[in-house]
Amino acid sequence: MKTKALKFLRYATMLVFVLTVIRQITGATDLTSVGTASAALLLSVPIVLAGLGGLFSERSGVVNIGLEGMMVMGAWAGGMIGTKHGPWIGLIAAIFFGGVGALVHAIATITFGVDHVVSGVAINIIAMGLVRYLSTLLYKSGSWLGPSQSPDVNSIPTNSLPILSGGQYFGWKSPDLLGSLAEKHWFFISDLAAILRGITGDLSYVTVIAMAMVPLSLFVLWKTAFGLRLRSAGEAPIAAESLGVNVYAMKYAGVLISGALAGLGGGFLAIVAANHYQENQVAGRGYIGLAALLFGNYRPGGILMGAGLFGFADALQLRDSASVHALILLIVVVLVGLVVRDVRKGKIVKAVLTLAFAGLSLWYFLAVDELPGQLVTMTPYIATLLIMSLASQRLRMPAADGIPYRRGGLR
Amino acid sequence: MSVAVELRHISKRFPGVIANKDVSMSVETGTVHALVGENGAGKSTVMKILYGMQRPDSGEILVNGTAVHFKNPNDAIDASIGMVHQHFMLADNFTVLENVILGSEPRHGITIDFAAARAKVVEMAAQYGLEIDPDVLVEELGVGQRQRVEILKVLYRGARILIFDEPTAVLVPQEVDDLFNALKGLRAQGMAIIFISHKLDEVLRVADDVTVVRAGSTVAQVKSKDVTARQLAELMVGSELPQPSTHGDTRRPEVTLALKDVSIPTQSGSRDLISHVTFNLHAGEVVGIAGVEGNGQAELVEAIMGLREYTGVIEFSGSDMNHLSVAHRRDLGIGLIPEDRQRQAMMMESPLWENRILGHQRGKPVMNGFVLDKKSTIADTKAIMEEFDVRAPGPQTLAAALSGGNQQKFIVGREMSKAPLLLVASHPTRGVDVGAQGAIWEELRRAREKGMAIVLISADLEELIGMSDRLLVMLRGVMTAELDPAKTTPEQLGSAMTGAA
Repeated sequence: MKTKALKFLRYATMLVFVLTVIRQITGATDLTSVGTASAALLLSVPIVLAGLGGLFSERSGVVNIGLEGMMVMGAWAGGMIGTKHGPWIGLIAAIFFGGVGALVHAIATITFGVDHVVSGVAINIIAMGLVRYLSTLLYKSGSWLGPSQSPDVNSIPTNSLPILSGGQYFGWKSPDLLGSLAEKHWFFISDLAAILRGITGDLSYVTVIAMAMVPLSLFVLWKTAFGLRLRSAGEAPIAAESLGVNVYAMKYAGVLISGALAGLGGGFLAIVAANHYQENQVAGRGYIGLAALLFGNYRPGGILMGAGLFGFADALQLRDSASVHALILLIVVVLVGLVVRDVRKGKIVKAVLTLAFAGLSLWYFLAVDELPGQLVTMTPYIATLLIMSLASQRLRMPAADGIPYRRGGLR
Repeated sequence: MSVAVELRHISKRFPGVIANKDVSMSVETGTVHALVGENGAGKSTVMKILYGMQRPDSGEILVNGTAVHFKNPNDAIDASIGMVHQHFMLADNFTVLENVILGSEPRHGITIDFAAARAKVVEMAAQYGLEIDPDVLVEELGVGQRQRVEILKVLYRGARILIFDEPTAVLVPQEVDDLFNALKGLRAQGMAIIFISHKLDEVLRVADDVTVVRAGSTVAQVKSKDVTARQLAELMVGSELPQPSTHGDTRRPEVTLALKDVSIPTQSGSRDLISHVTFNLHAGEVVGIAGVEGNGQAELVEAIMGLREYTGVIEFSGSDMNHLSVAHRRDLGIGLIPEDRQRQAMMMESPLWENRILGHQRGKPVMNGFVLDKKSTIADTKAIMEEFDVRAPGPQTLAAALSGGNQQKFIVGREMSKAPLLLVASHPTRGVDVGAQGAIWEELRRAREKGMAIVLISADLEELIGMSDRLLVMLRGVMTAELDPAKTTPEQLGSAMTGAA
């Protein structure tokens, strides 16, 4: 465990260093600015929550394509209840509504043995139709201004890591060491400080809670008896049943936790990332959460990395299209790194292919000064696709994931 | 010694079948008690009843002298009965430790006390001679080690009465030795062990007592030191064992199959896989190909069926068929019983009627013009099942649900349904119980009398000698000898196969 953490720190530092060098070369200052890091974190949170939702469900053996729909339910409930009763109650409503969507999925897949993908897709479609319908009713009754947008929700206060990133604690104003360091423009040190300041400063309390879900999931799934049993339902349900584990209960628990997390993710979008519910607010983040789950190889830490990557790419394209151009150079560096790894492992064909792709990217970087706007908007999705195709080599999904289970398989 | 488990007059019927009728047995502590019987004789049902997976219709179970009524396996576990399943019930992506403690984890507050669990498992493993690394993933373990994990699982839950369901079926000989040593260790610790098997030599090696079931009833309980394998086998089938034999000479003058100088070169150009094989096979004749496995028999079959490129000429009923495809060869009237029935002859996850189609997809009764005639296929499947005594609920049953013997009988029936002129039978009775073995021999005998030519490949020397009219010995792809089975003993044949004679 210790060595893993050290390894992670080493890679993270290396990555920041590479980003710094690229910033220096291209002059795209937003690559390592406080604002980018902060926005990246904000954009990552819903994806982390969706990914963790997927984790609980799939670890218990139920494929959950319905995450998207559950997030939509959560976002809508967050906007609708949050408007009336304040943001915290809104978030609880979001969790509850996500759970309701999950309950439907659980009853369909676990109790009635419906194909998991079919049920999940149905939930996505129903959720979108349902919230549109309810929104229209609210609009007609006069409580909403339009059928696709809720009134504003009060915001949840933010705070920062004391001493390092500033913030207010019981009336005491903390110094902002990282912030002042970030403004010094010292090569690498200021870049590192800026990124750290971005992800530790001006955080919504909800962001802190959401990020705490990552280690919490790790703890629950790998350190408790409940987690072991839940995972056994996804790996070998018949074996689990033969040892007296209530597989149905574990699967229900997994799917319901999944829905609650996805609902929270939706609520976060409506209440924290924006200040109202809006139609199409979720915009495929449930699916991207699933992609992060696969990228992270069904582990919480991996999900965090996948979501962070997406969030970073998304933040860049929102803030500054010039730095997306610089991002191509980062891709080149990563690809070259992969080439070195492949050559060491003796996978020559793969190395040559990757090298060719790296060369192509480099040529594109040099030849094109500014990316077309459509391509810029696509950045996070392209980044997801690219990383998925490079990373998903040793995917290990739960052995009985997606396979309908009937009690009495022992006989 | 006290009695650990006693079954008294257990009966169990399922819709349409009586699985168990008046089963009684008594297992003493500190012994290994074997339960033997043919496939389908009801061994498994007895054990499922004892393990609480099924409830008996009548009769009683006594554990350590007190009557018990199990509703589910958990009740049986509570009564210190444990089952080591034939198909391992393990999560591959879990460590050994996680697999062992799953369902009864030691707690430490809200977390699992992994340290205590590890200590207990390591101690148990040492005590019973089942050493294993508790922190390795199960997927990295071999079959024998996985079985150890299963045994540890059962012991961890405090079992004193252990049921082993065909434990040696998946093991290689070395692993079988290890298992038997472990069983002896467990016996020395005062456990009662019930060992289900149909491999009689193993039963006699490890068991103290033997209970024989036939057709759902227990027919005898004997001490293993008082019986021979042959006596046990006869108790199992209820009659004299079937003998591989043929009567008289049914050879007809016409030559069904002729191989002339057939060779299969290897790609690397070294020694030929089979080299200059020449022989004639008459109608009504059985030619046995003897040889240690891997000496070219499989390649010979593939050449005859057209599955593999060869040089030389293969003639069928007098005409050259070198350029005919597999399908054409089968249409001419060549049937095949492949050596690996599960991989080469069946789709295990498909119903029997779909399996009926394999190899017969080009004509009646499967096809009606261009359309698959499901109705007549199913009817024909039913007919095959009746004629060849395939014991299964019906044509819709999945092939995987049948025992090996019934699968093989079905394959034989399928190949015979077209009344082929030539049958290539590769290990036709390998891994099937004695009843099915006798039935398959009987089918081959009948077909031979009707004039079918048979190429018989087998590792069972008695079968080869008994069934063949002529024996050809194959060694490193070359026909090295031709023997008269009437004047050959298994010992002589064995030494000819290894090239010693």
